[in-house]
Amino acid sequence: MIAESKTPSAPEADREFVITRVFNAPARIVFEAWTKPEHIKRWFGPVGYPVTTADMDFRVGGKFRFVMTGPDGKEGPPFGGEYLEIVPDRKIVLTDAFEEPGSPVMIFTVTFDEKDGKTTQTWRVVFPTADVLKSYREMGMVEGINSGLDQLEDLVKVIR
Amino acid sequence: MSSHAARLNLVFSALADPTRRAILARVARSEATVNELVEPFRLTQPAISKHLKVLETAGLISRGREAQTRPVRLTAAPLAEVETWLGDFRRFWEQRFDRLESYVEEMKNKEKSRDRRIKNPKRTRG
Repeated sequence: MIAESKTPSAPEADREFVITRVFNAPARIVFEAWTKPEHIKRWFGPVGYPVTTADMDFRVGGKFRFVMTGPDGKEGPPFGGEYLEIVPDRKIVLTDAFEEPGSPVMIFTVTFDEKDGKTTQTWRVVFPTADVLKSYREMGMVEGINSGLDQLEDLVKVIR
Repeated sequence: MSSHAARLNLVFSALADPTRRAILARVARSEATVNELVEPFRLTQPAISKHLKVLETAGLISRGREAQTRPVRLTAAPLAEVETWLGDFRRFWEQRFDRLESYVEEMKNKEKSRDRRIKNPKRTRG
């Protein structure tokens, strides 16, 4: 798709890296699962890597810091970020990066759309660069920043 | 940062720009000179050269030495690393959401039983 593109910077041609899930629950419950340490500890770590430290200040401008512990009992590298935008039961935008200096910063946008008692959670990641973060802060929005990982997936497939 | 992570970071930064991604897609089809890239991208030669420098530093392209025009070629190896990383990344998040699905189910049931207790306080006795 990208290879065919004649105007390389056309934003509408770009897609982000997106994962959608439909939950058989109202949006307030799915949203709630993102908002408190006791919830995060129950699901955020993949199987075998539970989140054992979840410090979070869930408000716009607030920070979070998570640590996962592996099956060998060793703690993994701490990671965290900042909540950029919170719309109760609708949307959360946050940055995420490992604490190690120089680690790329990603921006995650999670939206919750409830219909007939079911909630579609759409999770997007915007590409990790300082520029993207700067634009986000300046514009207060991610829409239109054409730098998704989905595109990279496409590009890599086309090229390889 | 490990050299692997540093390299990957360099590749990702290079790929974060839509023009550079398009340049890569173009040279993936066939090698091209700077002049051949100037026209379709509607950029000046120095602007194209600047993008090429970033791609070259990330190891994504190489420049031929045989001609004055130094044609630009794709070097695919770093992209294999990106592909692996992206695959792992997607799987990782899908797994998270699998767990979220069962946890949300649990939260929902807890809420239901709480509501029942509020509506029918007698039933919770004993």
